[in-house]
Amino acid sequence: MTDFAAIIPIVIVVLSACAAMLAEAFRQPGERMRIDGLGLIGLVGAAIASCYLWNTDARSFGVVRADNFALFVNLILCLIGVLTMLFSDEVVEREQIPPGEYYALTLFGISGMMLMASATDLLVIFLALEILSLSVYVLTGIRRSSLAGAEAAFKYFLLGSFSSAFFLYGVAFAFFIAGSTRLDDLSVALSRQGAGPPDMLALLAVGFLAIGFAFKVSAVPFHMWTPDAYEGAPTIVTAFMSTAVKAAAFAAFVRVFLSPLEPLRDQWIPVLSVIAVATMILGTVVGVLQTNVKRMLAYSSIAHAGYIMLGIIATTNTGKAAVLFYLLAYAVTNIGALGIVALLGTAQEPHDELRDFAGLWNSRPALAGLMTVFLLSLGGFPPTAGFIGKWYIFSAAVERGHYWLAIIGVLTSVISVFFYLRIVVMMYMTEGPEMVRPRVPATAMAGLALATFAVIYLGVLPTRVLALALESITTIF
Amino acid sequence: MLSTIVFLPLVGAILVLIAGGRGDRSDREPLVRNIALAASLVTFAATLLLWWRFDPASALYQFEERYAWIPAFGIDYSIGVDGISLFLIVLTGFLTPIALLSSWESVHKNVKAFSAFVLALETAMLGVFVAIDLFLFYVFWDAMLIPMYFLIGVWGYERRIYAAVKFILYTMAGSVLMLVAIIGLAYVYAGTNPAGTPSFNLLDLYGLTLSWQMEMWFFIAFALAFAIKVPIFPFHTWLPDAHVEAPTAGSIILAGVLLKMGTYGLLRFAFPLFPNAALYFAPVLGVLAVIGIIYGALVAMVQPDMKKLVAYSSVSHLGFVVLGLAAMNVQGVQGSVYQMLNHGVSTGGLFMMVGMLSDRRHTRLISEFGGLKAVMPRLVTAFLLITLSSIALPGMNGFIGEFLILIGAFRWQTWLTAVAATGVILSAVYMLWMFQRVNYGPLTNAKNHSLPDLSPREWGLVVPIVAMAILMGVVPGIFLRPMEPSVNRIIERVTGGEAVRAKLNEVAVPSAAPTPPGPAGGPALNADAKGSGAVGGGNDND
Repeated sequence: MTDFAAIIPIVIVVLSACAAMLAEAFRQPGERMRIDGLGLIGLVGAAIASCYLWNTDARSFGVVRADNFALFVNLILCLIGVLTMLFSDEVVEREQIPPGEYYALTLFGISGMMLMASATDLLVIFLALEILSLSVYVLTGIRRSSLAGAEAAFKYFLLGSFSSAFFLYGVAFAFFIAGSTRLDDLSVALSRQGAGPPDMLALLAVGFLAIGFAFKVSAVPFHMWTPDAYEGAPTIVTAFMSTAVKAAAFAAFVRVFLSPLEPLRDQWIPVLSVIAVATMILGTVVGVLQTNVKRMLAYSSIAHAGYIMLGIIATTNTGKAAVLFYLLAYAVTNIGALGIVALLGTAQEPHDELRDFAGLWNSRPALAGLMTVFLLSLGGFPPTAGFIGKWYIFSAAVERGHYWLAIIGVLTSVISVFFYLRIVVMMYMTEGPEMVRPRVPATAMAGLALATFAVIYLGVLPTRVLALALESITTIF
Repeated sequence: MLSTIVFLPLVGAILVLIAGGRGDRSDREPLVRNIALAASLVTFAATLLLWWRFDPASALYQFEERYAWIPAFGIDYSIGVDGISLFLIVLTGFLTPIALLSSWESVHKNVKAFSAFVLALETAMLGVFVAIDLFLFYVFWDAMLIPMYFLIGVWGYERRIYAAVKFILYTMAGSVLMLVAIIGLAYVYAGTNPAGTPSFNLLDLYGLTLSWQMEMWFFIAFALAFAIKVPIFPFHTWLPDAHVEAPTAGSIILAGVLLKMGTYGLLRFAFPLFPNAALYFAPVLGVLAVIGIIYGALVAMVQPDMKKLVAYSSVSHLGFVVLGLAAMNVQGVQGSVYQMLNHGVSTGGLFMMVGMLSDRRHTRLISEFGGLKAVMPRLVTAFLLITLSSIALPGMNGFIGEFLILIGAFRWQTWLTAVAATGVILSAVYMLWMFQRVNYGPLTNAKNHSLPDLSPREWGLVVPIVAMAILMGVVPGIFLRPMEPSVNRIIERVTGGEAVRAKLNEVAVPSAAPTPPGPAGGPALNADAKGSGAVGGGNDND
């Protein structure tokens, strides 16, 4: 029985996904069923299970390990899931998204992400990657009537398959070196090689794996799908995938690169540094040119991926903990911001252009205020989660003497402030046409309140969470 | 006690938001205004109490509070007051109610949010002045940008959005580099102590010995952030825009307090943390300051817009402050700190007067006015007194500050000071010329015939400002004495151990790297600073 301990959170989420499918089967056409409640139950259950597993370092079947690192990521994913569920009910109804498929796919996606964070075998990581990717591909195109959605889903799917193939190729090379796809075997094999120029095959493995991960976290030059997919998908799906996929992919990225592949770090640090710099610069500079808020936030998510990579490049405990903290800070912030965009739109009028935000302060002061909090957090202003996250990431870079990376990071974040503030300018300082703003249901308000609370809490009293992040990485690496 | 003062305005802001009800309700306007004013007045009273209980003989931080905040990184919530920050805190407390009261008639759009932003801004400003922990300082420093951004962007004049965005981007671009330097400093500290924990506490970091390279880069990062804030020429271009487009309350706070954060930062952080680099770069700062003095004055002279004129006069006046700091001797630094206060009172007052005129006429162009003396004799008298205080007439506050600065600077760089001194004359030219064109001469513009004189509310604004200007001009001792020990301590820290550190640097930096030569005449100046001891008393009654 103990063999199953580590996968309990994943199983709970899968069960709730199955329940969502069953519920859909019993739903009368046109009936509005609160399937999001099933998702909430499952996600809260998974979160509680993760808390119970804390510090137990449970393992299942030798390929899944619920160490504190995985559990921390699980909790982030549960939080993302809960927020998504809270925003979903009204939005799904309004945008005419098929509810059963939507909730089931979201929950299956989360189960894949949890598996990805806790997998200790390259093949299982690949499996998890496919579970989450397939869910997200379908979610992107779930509005069948939308041409942009279909295009986005197709593009995402094609490029995603390529990257999966690269990743699998990397796994094959790793298998050749270690004779196994388990991370600990790979670790032993690579450290046995010792000093001297590393094996060509090892470098190929590192390179292909890096491409696979870089695609999933949308790092330059593997970011091409991001703006289209984020813009074409229903906004609520964008909110979900921009945060959750990133969290899961970075978790696996850290686990693979900072334990078995760490002996090769002299080889991969320069490459990742270049990628990180390009990602930060492109994400912010191109973001400035956007007039569509979803597209703007897509480029901002590219830039944030660049910042998070600095934590991996630092290769220290501070760096790893910073990645975890940043993922949490980014998740609550970005899902809040995109959640508001989703709540403002209707099926006919997406209201995701910059000018649609004009005068929001007059018509909906509360939403404008909350949006401002999220945007300031994305821009890294104190006292919000985004500031502590950036400070932590840049500390990690500076600690290792990567001053240039930190300087590029802070300067690009100033550029990003420019486009976040464009939305604020629209909301507060521009008179807009009278516009019918759809109502915001109580559950969604609760979700926004939760996200805002998290953003402020992490910004003012980050101590506890920082300590947890530090604790959760020291137990494994 | 200190935390109470810092967060009192924030509590006021929250009360205001609650009292204001939902949306923009004009029926709650008086209630909201009164709560905001009451909160700011209570804060001012508390800062006065702080002054009352302050021990003027001590150079150390007083009313210290220290709680662990993020212990893993050596970050504390650590605050305290010394003789330099004390008066800047009092100044902040003094100007905030004035700013709120000055917008009584001119701001009607969402007064609730306006008052809340002003009060939130006050908390952030007070926080900047009391922070001993660099991380805490940075948090307040950056957080302050947000309310100011909204004040300019929402309640400003025509080009407000441009000005607001320019303000926030300029200031941020400078300060993020400082953030990197702060983090770097903390990790250098981590390398020196056995436990390996970084520290952001200023007092810990004062004790560091850095390599010359590091000291130079860190100093540049810090100085750039502060230079943009002051602003020192050539980083001043955001200032005229921000000042001109901001609402009156915003201009008063911007000129009165925000600019001082730059000079305060130089004095508190950039100079004592990196003394060798500071002395090495002091001549550069001095030259830029003098360029700023002259340039600001010349540009001010040709402005058709009163608000823009006052804005450029700030560039000129702040040049004096930086010159005094760069001199790094007792008179120079004391004069600088004093001049920061003066500038807050007199330029804040000038913006207030311009605000009163533009409330009446909805224009700020000098050519629209003329001969106001005949219509509004009381307002013009107040305007005259504040103008005289700004151009440093003996007997008014500005004189003490500029005089001390010029003495200090003269002992440091004679020629530079000679050029700077012409700024005093130029300031008389542009200010008096503007005053003359607005208030004297024939009453040509028909619209000016029936302007009302000072209202009771405006009396409440003018009297404290004028009283403060005269008080600071006649009895400067009560301000100079408490700041003296702290000023001496910083000067000693920057110039004192120079010989010792020069030796250390020779060891740390082998011949190849440029060893910091220090400014010309460094040793002599050093000896002077020690010899002269107490200053300020002697110059009181000129």
